[in-house]
Amino acid sequence: MKEIFTLLKPRFLSFKNRRRSRTRGGRRLRLLAFGTIGLAFWGGTFSIFYRVLAYFQGLEAIGDILAYKLLSMILIILFSLLIFSSILTFLSKLYLSKDLSLIHSMPVPREKIFLSRWIESTVDSSWMVLIYSLPFFLAYGMVYRSGAFYYGMLGINLIPFCLIASSLSSLIVMVAASILPAGRIRSVFIFLALFLFLLLVISFRLVRPERFVRPDSFVPVVLYLKNLETSHSPFLPTTWFFDSLRASLSGSVKIASFHSALSWSGAISMIFVTTWVSSVFYFRGLSKAEVVSKRFYPFFARRRKGNGFFPDLLSGPVRAFVMKEMRTFFRDQTQWSQLFLIVALVIIYLYNFSVLPLERGPIRLEYLQNLLSFLNMGLAAFVLSAVSARFVFPAVSMEGDAFWIVRSSPISIRTFLWIKFFVYFLPLLLLSELLIVLTNILLNATPFIMAVSVITIFLMVPGIVSMGIGLGAIYPDFHSENPTQSVTSLGGLIYMTLCIGFIAAVIVLEAGPIYDVFMTDIRRATLSGFQWLWLVGSFSLVLVLCAAALLIPMRLGEKRILRYELGH
Amino acid sequence: MIEIRNLSKRFGEIVAVNRLNLFVPEGEVFGFIGPNGAGKTTTLRMMAGVIAPTEGSVIVDGISMAEDPSSAKKRIGFIPDRPFLYEKLTGIEFLKFTADLYGMEDGLFAERSKKILNQFSLSHWADELIESYSHGMKQRLIICAAILHDPKVIIVDEPMVGLDPAGIRMVKGLFRNLAKKGTTIFMSTHTLAVAEDVCDRIGVIHKGRLIATGTVEELRVRAQVREGDLEEVFMILTEGESVP
Repeated sequence: MKEIFTLLKPRFLSFKNRRRSRTRGGRRLRLLAFGTIGLAFWGGTFSIFYRVLAYFQGLEAIGDILAYKLLSMILIILFSLLIFSSILTFLSKLYLSKDLSLIHSMPVPREKIFLSRWIESTVDSSWMVLIYSLPFFLAYGMVYRSGAFYYGMLGINLIPFCLIASSLSSLIVMVAASILPAGRIRSVFIFLALFLFLLLVISFRLVRPERFVRPDSFVPVVLYLKNLETSHSPFLPTTWFFDSLRASLSGSVKIASFHSALSWSGAISMIFVTTWVSSVFYFRGLSKAEVVSKRFYPFFARRRKGNGFFPDLLSGPVRAFVMKEMRTFFRDQTQWSQLFLIVALVIIYLYNFSVLPLERGPIRLEYLQNLLSFLNMGLAAFVLSAVSARFVFPAVSMEGDAFWIVRSSPISIRTFLWIKFFVYFLPLLLLSELLIVLTNILLNATPFIMAVSVITIFLMVPGIVSMGIGLGAIYPDFHSENPTQSVTSLGGLIYMTLCIGFIAAVIVLEAGPIYDVFMTDIRRATLSGFQWLWLVGSFSLVLVLCAAALLIPMRLGEKRILRYELGH
Repeated sequence: MIEIRNLSKRFGEIVAVNRLNLFVPEGEVFGFIGPNGAGKTTTLRMMAGVIAPTEGSVIVDGISMAEDPSSAKKRIGFIPDRPFLYEKLTGIEFLKFTADLYGMEDGLFAERSKKILNQFSLSHWADELIESYSHGMKQRLIICAAILHDPKVIIVDEPMVGLDPAGIRMVKGLFRNLAKKGTTIFMSTHTLAVAEDVCDRIGVIHKGRLIATGTVEELRVRAQVREGDLEEVFMILTEGESVP
């Protein structure tokens, strides 16, 4: 046990020493900002769930069934999230961390190294999921007026819940790392990305949220109730947790205790099995992690010049950077899992629009469809900002220690930044236009709204990408072990804030004139002189705003990066 | 002291180390030289127990690395070519962390760490975060950590990288003194002058195979070179088999 504690020590000491670190700048501001956002999200989740559950309570006969169904769904999603988060953490902690060579050269049994990493990963992957799950459970406790017993059982059950998810994830990671033929550990990412993508889609389908808004479509009611009462497997940890919570909400001490005992015994058994499996698989997988495998996509390597490939049209240095960007992006398999997640996000996004029960709303259908379509521009732009924060903002920092090549190459920083801009601009423009067009088709939006959405997004995407590149250059981090995490830095926070402000400004500027045009069209009237003036003025301001968002960040980024001293 | 039997390591289709057999007795400084990609670092990492061999075994002080890795590692001080250090720890915290894993008592740690930090001119930096150290200072700190527990065997990969001339002289002297006291040193290096200066015996590895072992004189005979330094011997032994 002493050795496990010693292995965990660098983490505690690093945390203790963080005040002395030279990279401490902006930490308080960041903490305050993220704390406020987190608290707002926490409060918002609680308030929504409290209202939903209170509403369910008012429904006789099916209120409790709905509430419990929702609880079981939340537990399935939480469990999936925990597994998702644990797999990524384990992969990094067990096979990719830079300190592994140091630790494995020490005279410590490998099982203890594994256990110390397992503890660290379990805490790292669970804490945030747990904190953000608390509003749900708190809402249940308050609506059902539960006492200390419920909250006690909740705490008692949450721990084995996380331990089981963590053990399962580590088993998946260890087995995957030791059986993949090529053995190269990054290949695991591809396997896991596919697995996680399927997990996401399946868990989303399991939830079937659209059913809640149209209970009357289940005729007769018995069929509806039957549909809600899907069976729970007695072997699933989510079932043990669910049964224990349901019993504790109704005050059944014995049943609740029995199911939480099941959870604990399951968790202890899983830890035992995991530790045993680690003694067989972990070191084998770690040794295999260094195996060099064949590339999955030799496309960029084998291409010959002069076959009409578009970078051939560019000048030498520009083509060199464009090809480097594309090659490094597609060969970095860690990026692929993120791409899979984006695909999942897009599918879910579109699916949501396809099942919206618009015809059941109290507002006129045509009006509602176009209102949603207009607001969807903001939502799509926001999704784009989130994707940009992950891919575009770290683009400059991704140069890492190789930034000296950029500085010493016969290419200006301005060109370098614009190359970065275009590499990301084209795919992101395609993604956002695709989202907008498809959702507008699903919403049956009028041609006018369709045109406005497509043009507005076309104008906004350059600004969002430019802010990502520009702010990434203003706040570069060439020394980070993982530059993709720079989105949580002060620069990343400023980027997201500016993006939200920019999107909101464009939406607000366009809202009034578009409403006028739309209503005039419905009433078959014509626009007045003032309305025309307002329309032209607003859209001109949008143009100016988009141009400023495109040019200013790039200019500022260029100035800042020119002052950046290598070796700093 | 160190016995390597039929040691092989394959990375997929690539054979990095191929049936390596070697014995290094107590108190010897053994130099391991070879071109880039010859298998030096892989051999050293297997010897240190960081990666598992595909075949064969490593015996340190009579203990098999595969069967009892913890006991074998207790006898080793490992200095990798690209060492990792916890940047947010101070020098002394890092040494304490290492000492704890090697099971050193607090009293002995206090005494040894003070002496070694002083010897490596790091005393004034002991309470500073490692992130503020220069490259050479980090290299010196990792050497401190490796010899702190007084190991019977030191496995070192490219020891002179990043050190200034004074540091190189100090490390060469340190290795010679440790060897006199009975410590076995297994050193991989590209700096042939250092190998010539410090090592009692040299092994030449090429494409994963040990192609020659012996003193510098014995290697000269093997390469049929009457005069000339180790560099010339090395070039002849590995001639015509350049590695990209």
